[in-house]
Amino acid sequence: MSDAPLNASTWEPHAALAVHCGGIDFCNPVLTASGTFGYGKEFEGLISLPALGGLVTKGISPQPRFGNPAPRICETASGMLNSIGLENVGVDGFAEHKLPFLRACGTKVLVNFFGTTFDDYVECGARLAQLEGVDGLEMNVSCPNIKAGGIEFGRDPRVLGDLVRACRKVIAKPLWVKLTPNTSDIVELARACAGNGADAVSIINTITGMAIDARTRRPKLATIFGGLSGPAIKPIALRMVCQVHRAGLGIPICGIGGIQDGTDAIEFMLAGANTVQVGTQNFIDPASAERIVREIDDFCRQNAISDVRELVGALKPEA
Amino acid sequence: MLAKAVGRGTRLLESSPLGTRVAVLGPLGTSFPDPSPETLDLLVAGGVGLPPLFMQAERAARQGMVDNCEMLYGGRNAHDLLLLGEMHALGLRSHLATEDGSAGRRGRVTAELEARIDHHRGSNPGAKLRILACGPREMLWAVARIAEPLGIECYLSMEERMACGIGVCLGCAVPARSRPFRYMCSDGPVFLASDLVIPPAMDRTAEAAP
Repeated sequence: MSDAPLNASTWEPHAALAVHCGGIDFCNPVLTASGTFGYGKEFEGLISLPALGGLVTKGISPQPRFGNPAPRICETASGMLNSIGLENVGVDGFAEHKLPFLRACGTKVLVNFFGTTFDDYVECGARLAQLEGVDGLEMNVSCPNIKAGGIEFGRDPRVLGDLVRACRKVIAKPLWVKLTPNTSDIVELARACAGNGADAVSIINTITGMAIDARTRRPKLATIFGGLSGPAIKPIALRMVCQVHRAGLGIPICGIGGIQDGTDAIEFMLAGANTVQVGTQNFIDPASAERIVREIDDFCRQNAISDVRELVGALKPEA
Repeated sequence: MLAKAVGRGTRLLESSPLGTRVAVLGPLGTSFPDPSPETLDLLVAGGVGLPPLFMQAERAARQGMVDNCEMLYGGRNAHDLLLLGEMHALGLRSHLATEDGSAGRRGRVTAELEARIDHHRGSNPGAKLRILACGPREMLWAVARIAEPLGIECYLSMEERMACGIGVCLGCAVPARSRPFRYMCSDGPVFLASDLVIPPAMDRTAEAAP
């Protein structure tokens, strides 16, 4: 576990760490990922929230959801599978019970949201965008579209584009879209977002996978399939960030996938990410994100980088 | 600290040399109720579930209430049973059960529990019994199934795989009665059995089939 929490009011980074991404100014590029950071308050006393660039809440739906049967998680090689079932308190529960803490927590707050129908998304996004203390929204499009036979909204660029456009109309705040990696062409998904008014894309969500207990012949998750996260997916995430960056769509990228330390975060920035999110690592050490901020600064000092923004997309063309 | 090596994490712990520094996040979640002079607490321990109940007995002893509890402790064989000398030193009444009969009753600790409940109800019908249990999941369900029809307040200390331990990953869901799920890490690990959905007794012949 890391050393004593950073004192955000006295800690002075060596390099300029502030970044602008997707319509929001962050004091540094490190955010925490949806589903791995609760509603922020759970980490009070374990991490200094103002030391983070920002946090992304658990995904919110119009109505509360109670989630999937157990077992919901299992460990895999260099990662984990989860099938939580998008359990959350719903828009009203969020506004009443979770937002008051977040308003005063001292870091930028993005609210992740989703629906199970087109109208659900629009309604949920519109209501969340009106709440004071919400700095931006991150749309989770990795949910089954009930009306389209349960296929994820985010897998079809046309459906995704329509969804982004409809949400954009009712959301006056920064709107990010968290893309699914369960696709053959991540660039087309990013293009659909960029072309329909999204402010940034978060790349990537979990990769569909499964785990089996050979002895009992049973799947290890109650829902059989789940989402793979952790260091196991980092190479795939880096590749997708790089592809979208190289496509030159002009949309900022928030890189996500198996980030465990400052070097991992910097690799994402070199591939083209303007900001990053720390996810599964929060489960291993709840103060990870804060440590990663410090490690990014250490890297900058050691490599004579005065402004972290110099790193974005600075990948050299050859190995 | 008592650990049984069952997987990679516990094996790493077991093989760590004396003086190794480890980071611990805790204590987390709920604990057993305080010992009470008003109750007689039956502490039901199965295998590696012993430590929290031993600590409960220590708490009771420190508060001069060791006679308000008794330990019912089961394991596979006599070799499996730990801390027997320490329990004796506390002045704790203990009843053992082993599957091979090498110590105490031959059979399951839940049979011992039923016998002790019968005994106390016969000898002192006015006593308020409580059950505090920790052990394998099937043992806990069996304990709950004994306690419920008798109206005995029953606390179960459960375990589940969890990623975070602080109510964030929502991985350690257990079906509950007051809402669809409760969480081992933050609502538990100690639950009132009356708030959990207790599955019916397993059909062992069906389970044995491939």
